[in-house]
Amino acid sequence: MTVAAPQPNLDGQIIASELTKVFRGRIRAVDRLSFTVEPGSVTGFLGPNGAGKTTTLRMVLGLVHPTGGTATIGGLQYKNIPHPITRVGAALESSSFHPARTGRNHLRILCIAAGLPLQRADAVLDMVGLGAAGKRKVRGYSLGMRQRLGLASALLGDPRVLVLDEPANGLDPDGIRWLRGFFRHLAGEGRTVLVSSHQLNEVQEVADRVVILNHGQLVSAGTISELTAGSESVRVRTPNPAPLGEAIAAGGGFAQHEDPQTLQVRGMTLDQVGHLAFTAGVELHELSTQQFDLEDLFFQLTGTAQPPGPTMQPSQGGKQ
Amino acid sequence: MIRLVHAEFVKLRTTQVWFWLLLAALAISAIVVVASLAPANNVTDPSDVADMFTASNNASIVVFVLGVLGVTTEFRYQTITPTVLVTPSRWTLITAKLISYTLLGAIYALACLVIQLAMALPWLSAKGIDFSLDAQLRHVIGAVFIVVALYGVIGLGVGALLRNQIVAVTVGVIFLLALENLILLIPKVRNAWAYTPGGASNAILYTHGQNDFNGVHLLSSGAGVIVLLVWALIPALIGAGITMNRDIT
Repeated sequence: MTVAAPQPNLDGQIIASELTKVFRGRIRAVDRLSFTVEPGSVTGFLGPNGAGKTTTLRMVLGLVHPTGGTATIGGLQYKNIPHPITRVGAALESSSFHPARTGRNHLRILCIAAGLPLQRADAVLDMVGLGAAGKRKVRGYSLGMRQRLGLASALLGDPRVLVLDEPANGLDPDGIRWLRGFFRHLAGEGRTVLVSSHQLNEVQEVADRVVILNHGQLVSAGTISELTAGSESVRVRTPNPAPLGEAIAAGGGFAQHEDPQTLQVRGMTLDQVGHLAFTAGVELHELSTQQFDLEDLFFQLTGTAQPPGPTMQPSQGGKQ
Repeated sequence: MIRLVHAEFVKLRTTQVWFWLLLAALAISAIVVVASLAPANNVTDPSDVADMFTASNNASIVVFVLGVLGVTTEFRYQTITPTVLVTPSRWTLITAKLISYTLLGAIYALACLVIQLAMALPWLSAKGIDFSLDAQLRHVIGAVFIVVALYGVIGLGVGALLRNQIVAVTVGVIFLLALENLILLIPKVRNAWAYTPGGASNAILYTHGQNDFNGVHLLSSGAGVIVLLVWALIPALIGAGITMNRDIT
């Protein structure tokens, strides 16, 4: 590799500051968006389709000029990074290939332009499991193979920072499992990975942090544990919910009816609820901890009907 | 810069368009030799021999098309995204494209001239026509290089301006092959033809007092170069300006 000695300040903190993009003078695709991606972490960049994820990533990479605000990687704007593909690798869409060109030649052209040895093309093809298919024309690739070729181009310069836009699109379940393992592998090597998705479960298992976006604005950002803090609940089913509900309210908890016989309790542990039921003499048919559901949180936070409310400010996590 | 020019040539080489277009240009050049030297035609004058080689100028339309494709293909297949990610400086990219397609034009011109010479030299000596690399022929060969190379730059500019690949190729080819020649049919403005790319090319290519084309007074060779240069650079510069600030989405 011809990568220069690593410089700590280029090791990959991504900072977006007040990023704004207005298309054709009226479509606010991204609106004063600020967030930070920490070096050496896998950060999920989440939001429904049309939330502004792709536009944001393209501004971070200098492909789209921001209407306002700045984005830097390791303290530099992308256009000012020397030999950028050896610092930052990006896979943005599954179709940026000439159909009549082989996958291998696509990568070799990038190698030549970037001054990388041609063997890197074969090395990254093997890394993404496209070794044999590399000599075929892209025209004959499945969507999943194109995604892998996109990942291969991102890895070409052996960068510390990876920016991946919807890399799981078009992958079959096997492919998604492979991708998760791949992220773990990359994160294990200490690389910074920013990966966008409109499907939370694709990144839930591997992301340390998430940045959630809707209508071009930041909805929430933080570690998954920060986001989930205070959102665990206890589920209790009883034929006699009224006295238990009163006891919970008196004890400082918050109970909500899931159905006439089932309560969702927040602000109390499983043990506290069990004890209250015992002292109130209420018969229980079920007492369990609700598994935290990031998917639910995601939908609450990005509810398409309402814009992000004032209670969902950045860094306050997913409190309701 | 050398790396980027190399990459541009590998981009061309790894698709097949270049081959078929080169084949077409070579075929036309070869056909002109056959038509000129066939027994029915009595090419005897060395100046007629030089004219025969101006046919290599047909490569200009082919190189124009390649220039258009050189820009529009990047946008059509979104290969512009990885291209710009590797080289974020768009001025550098634009310069690399300009150098590459000027070189490409020279290479296609050379290929056409070589095939013409390879066919014509033995044929001419068989016909007993005295033939040498005189000043006139040197002029024609130099002119072919200049014209074909500049058409590559015109192609890049038209591609950057029109962006849509099919529209740019169709409009460009129809203009260069047909529309600009329609000017010759309009009585009042037909003299303006001298300032079209085709008129300027003819001014560059022909030397021996042939400064008259279908009754239109041609420019001098030097003025022809300047006019063709303007045709090449204006779309290229406007296209470059647009591409500099264009969002790649």
